[in-house]
Amino acid sequence: MPAPVLELRRLSKRFGGVAAVDGVSLALEPGRIYGLIGPNGSGKTTLFNCITGVERRDGGEVVFGGERIDGLKPWQIAQRGIGRTFQIIRVFPELTALENLLVVTRGGAEEARAHALELLRLVTLEGLQDEYAGNLSYGQQKLVEFARVLMRDPTLILLDEPAAGVNRTLLNDLLATVAGLRDAGKTVLLVEHDMKVVMGLCETVFVLDHGEKIAEGPPGAIQADERVIEAYFGR
Amino acid sequence: MVGQVVISGILAGALYAMVALGLALIYGVMRVINIAHGPLLMLGAYTTFFLYSAFGLNPYLSIPVTMAVLFVVGVVLQRSLVFRVVDAPELSSLLLTFGISIGLVNLAQLAFTSDLRAVEYLTGSIPLGPFALSKTRLVAFVFAGGVTALAFLFLQRTRLGKAIRATSQSPEVAMVCGIDVRRVHMFTFGLATALAAAGGALIAVIVAIQPEMGQVWTFKSFLVIVLGGAGNYPGALLGGMLLGLVEQLAALFLTTQLSEVVAYLLLVVVLLVRPTGLLGGRQT
Amino acid sequence: MLLAALAVYPAFGTGYGVRAMLQIFMWIALAGSWNIISGLTGYVSFGHVAFFGAGAYAGAILIANAGWPWVPAAAAGGVAACVLALVIGYPCLRLKGPYFAIAMLGLNEVLRALVSYFEALTGGGSGLSLPTLHATVPIYYAMAGTAAAVTLLTFLIITSRFGLRLMTIREDELAAEAMGIDTARHKLYAFLLSAAGPGIAGALAARDQGYIEPISVFPLATTITMIVMALFGGKGTVWGPVLGAVVLFVAQELVWARFPYVHQLLFGAIIVAVVLLMPRGVLGILQLKYRLPRTI
Repeated sequence: MPAPVLELRRLSKRFGGVAAVDGVSLALEPGRIYGLIGPNGSGKTTLFNCITGVERRDGGEVVFGGERIDGLKPWQIAQRGIGRTFQIIRVFPELTALENLLVVTRGGAEEARAHALELLRLVTLEGLQDEYAGNLSYGQQKLVEFARVLMRDPTLILLDEPAAGVNRTLLNDLLATVAGLRDAGKTVLLVEHDMKVVMGLCETVFVLDHGEKIAEGPPGAIQADERVIEAYFGR
Repeated sequence: MVGQVVISGILAGALYAMVALGLALIYGVMRVINIAHGPLLMLGAYTTFFLYSAFGLNPYLSIPVTMAVLFVVGVVLQRSLVFRVVDAPELSSLLLTFGISIGLVNLAQLAFTSDLRAVEYLTGSIPLGPFALSKTRLVAFVFAGGVTALAFLFLQRTRLGKAIRATSQSPEVAMVCGIDVRRVHMFTFGLATALAAAGGALIAVIVAIQPEMGQVWTFKSFLVIVLGGAGNYPGALLGGMLLGLVEQLAALFLTTQLSEVVAYLLLVVVLLVRPTGLLGGRQT
Repeated sequence: MLLAALAVYPAFGTGYGVRAMLQIFMWIALAGSWNIISGLTGYVSFGHVAFFGAGAYAGAILIANAGWPWVPAAAAGGVAACVLALVIGYPCLRLKGPYFAIAMLGLNEVLRALVSYFEALTGGGSGLSLPTLHATVPIYYAMAGTAAAVTLLTFLIITSRFGLRLMTIREDELAAEAMGIDTARHKLYAFLLSAAGPGIAGALAARDQGYIEPISVFPLATTITMIVMALFGGKGTVWGPVLGAVVLFVAQELVWARFPYVHQLLFGAIIVAVVLLMPRGVLGILQLKYRLPRTI
């Protein structure tokens, strides 16, 4: 068993009286695609926020590559190799597509530019690099956000609803790219409502309900799990 | 000595709390940082002055009139200018209210000149054991306390008050519940202005009235909100008291000038250490 | 060609004219510096005149009490302003935008109080006098140089990746952090860079006036003016503050001649109008309409 890329140990986050994340523990092995599903409000995005340092966790630990990262600032965590996209797209609208990528990297100017153009080509956006990101279509902005995440060559990629609002062809390209990333040894954790995407792409799926992890396993088993069905369709 | 300071601090605290409550409401409901709050207080002071000098109206009895007048001013401001930046990035509302505050101060300067005015009404103090309670400050305390209490009752008990609280917690949900959010915004701004005006009226008998008097109040109101927690309306009470106490204490041990520095340092320290306020509130 | 004209102007211009140009250069330096922090990062600095005053006092004290010549004193003014920016910026820039603005609001008052308090050094409320020196022309050039330097600095920043990152703070600070950008450090650098110009300009202005007192170097009016100039011309652009400084200074002088004291009111109205109607300023609108490059 290879050492896990990411481990959550009894992670908790409360908002006022409500536990958005309640003692969640899980481990991600390298080079696999994981899914995170659950009914609305089950704490998925909060979990992402706790991992990436956007929210301060109230209890438990987040261990990345053997190192505890809970308590670090978001930019420190990003620099350590975790990249994420957002549920609501957060590109920088007044920067061009290329510049959106350029702000991320650390290397020299020439090398960064080449790398950025390469990524834009990968997501089929070449030719649009000098377009202001705010002027691009929804799907194109999603691709920019995706390419931007890849700029730093992260070890772990968190995708928050990558399929939302995206047409089928674009989605298939996106998913193929994600699979390619997995083949290259990266680890992907995605939050998604589109079950076809989750079942088709993910090797292991975690299910959250009211902040608790209620199930974990391959997609087929999850679909048949009673607790999962209850969580989605009510008690 | 310290006892006297504590008393003075508490007396001042209620006033701070009342004025800050207005600012807190505007921020809570509309996410607008109203830099013009202080100048609106200044207008309240001038209104009291003119009602007193032109019509001989008792400066305390004229408070409802002053509040009503400034309420209208607030609604007009909101309806004509502020509503446009309610959903805009905070930068816009900051700059807008900044521009409005400059406009108000300079209008006042043109209309009233910078000559100092004053309302000579109550003087002297009431002895209470070893302490002396300044009459004007005592009345201010009573009034401010009363008005604040009424404001809280309003927020808790009336439909409009509940609508205001609902909107500050979640505008989208409020709209879905049938609350006319635009009306709530107008009313809130008017109410906040009225509270500031009341503060101005009470201050009018204590300090000299001049166009720039309001600016320090804007800053202090923010300080109160920061201390009490943004969005935490009862926190404003605590914050007001705390500011009053700290100021008086600082004035005791340092000069009055430095007490302002202390207030400023307090602000920075609190923002760094506990940005959600001492009682805990919403983070921006 | 314009540069040549500006360079030889003192030889032809009247005393008033040279003074006026000197003032325009000063405002270009001030508005341009405000633009570096507020226009690029979106963190509105309402207390920027603090750096002007700090530079003025640092320079004046060195000239009056330590006998320094005005050129190094001006440089020292810039350094003093940067130190102040570091002291204030380090804690305050960790705050999110609105809280930072509030903190900066109070800064003016605090500095004025401090200056009065440390009377022995600063001459307190009665001010500080400098030994007489008729150096308006060299100061003209120095101020012009400062204005040029600030504009050049803005250009360099905007065309660099550092500048892009500053802009991401304005666009979406959360996303910027998620992308690995140390926003606190970037904001601090921008803040420091934005303090140098006013610091130097303050020292030069003090030398030119020959006398300073707290009211004259920490007035809110200065902050208001530099803000309205940058906003009007176009915040976030290179030449916007220059345009704003020239246009509004001329307007101010014209209005002052007819209706003293109204110009402040006008500035307030302009700020309101710009925020509501053309938030990107004149150059910003042109940029958008004609797809001009960002380096405008």
